[in-house]
Amino acid sequence: MSARRIIGSIAAILVTLVLLIQVAIHAQTKPAAQTPDITGSWERYGFVPGGRGGAQRDPTIPPPATQPALKPEYLKEWQAKAQATRDAAAKGEPLATNNVHCIPEGMPAMMGAQFPIEILQSRGQVTIIEEAFTQVRRILLDRPQKSLDDVEPGFYGHSVGRWEGDTLVVDTIGIKEEVRFQNAPHSKQLRIRERLHLVSPTILWDEITIEDPVTLEKPWQVTYAYRKMPDYTLLEYICEDNREYADEKGLQKIRVNPGQ
Amino acid sequence: MIAMEVRMLSRRVAAVFAFGCAIACVLTTPLLAHHSFAVYDHTRTLTLRGTVTKFQWTNPHAYLELDVKQADGSVKHYSVELTSINMMQRVGWRSNMVKAGDQVTAVIAPILSGEPVGLGLEVTLADGTKKELPVPAAASFKRTTETQ
Repeated sequence: MSARRIIGSIAAILVTLVLLIQVAIHAQTKPAAQTPDITGSWERYGFVPGGRGGAQRDPTIPPPATQPALKPEYLKEWQAKAQATRDAAAKGEPLATNNVHCIPEGMPAMMGAQFPIEILQSRGQVTIIEEAFTQVRRILLDRPQKSLDDVEPGFYGHSVGRWEGDTLVVDTIGIKEEVRFQNAPHSKQLRIRERLHLVSPTILWDEITIEDPVTLEKPWQVTYAYRKMPDYTLLEYICEDNREYADEKGLQKIRVNPGQ
Repeated sequence: MIAMEVRMLSRRVAAVFAFGCAIACVLTTPLLAHHSFAVYDHTRTLTLRGTVTKFQWTNPHAYLELDVKQADGSVKHYSVELTSINMMQRVGWRSNMVKAGDQVTAVIAPILSGEPVGLGLEVTLADGTKKELPVPAAASFKRTTETQ
């Protein structure tokens, strides 16, 4: 065999290998054919004060959220804060929250969807946008999770996910300690696991499990349900002119503009 | 003296209502707005008939600025806090529905501090159309007949 033919064969093999690798990568990142279509706008659905029961036995309504099983030293702080919040509101002087400063909720509170959310499925990523404060989180598909030390803390953290049959399984770490869910304290070891799946063609559940070996005795479970909004396009939201502010005592006040 | 006692009693009633609202708000957390409305009186409303000086179409909340003529002929300016414009749009509000110079009527829950500020619960537009505001737990604000 001549040297030219040998080089030609090697080149052909290399080209074939490159093509095969490309096909394999493509197959990995392309949404599987059976992947559910959850792209679109969704609104929070099915909240029943006190949980489902009595006449409200609709199976598409999720069970009521559990309370955080905080360790005693954290539970005390959490209960004191809850009491202070109630007392302040009762006096007509509510405590200022992050929202008073136009600071968004972050994870996992944004999944509570006080305003509608939009889910976008693209190759290798699921993106979730919450209309209020234009919050955005990105779930990277089929990627390994980073170590805690490799993620800078933020409002939405680092999320990776994969489809397990009809369920999108998501793992999130790297939430700032100041970003609290229902005012519960958490450590840097906070981990948020989610299972998103359709319970009917138009109802989506997000089963959230919050883990924190430092502050929680056991995982904290919250499930949110959303109803499809087929004709709704998310609106813009810019916290443009906020007249609310926190005074020196941390109370929510309103700036009065008599000259308007 | 009697007037002072009445005022104290009314503050106590307001506090009880506010506490009730706070409990209701805790029980209905997902229906909460991002911002607390506990600064407003849940025991009474005030109906303002006035001239719009500005309709501020912004987030986190919109504002209706109103000049309200008083019985003595003077003009008192009120700032009426509305909800998020996103919530307003979802129930049919548009930025061009109100403009400076319009005569409107607004039912407000006055602020507890006594300043000329209120939370807008309902507005009757210049053309007579009555528009509700999508205030979370709106039913917790007791409607009364006081006018200004």
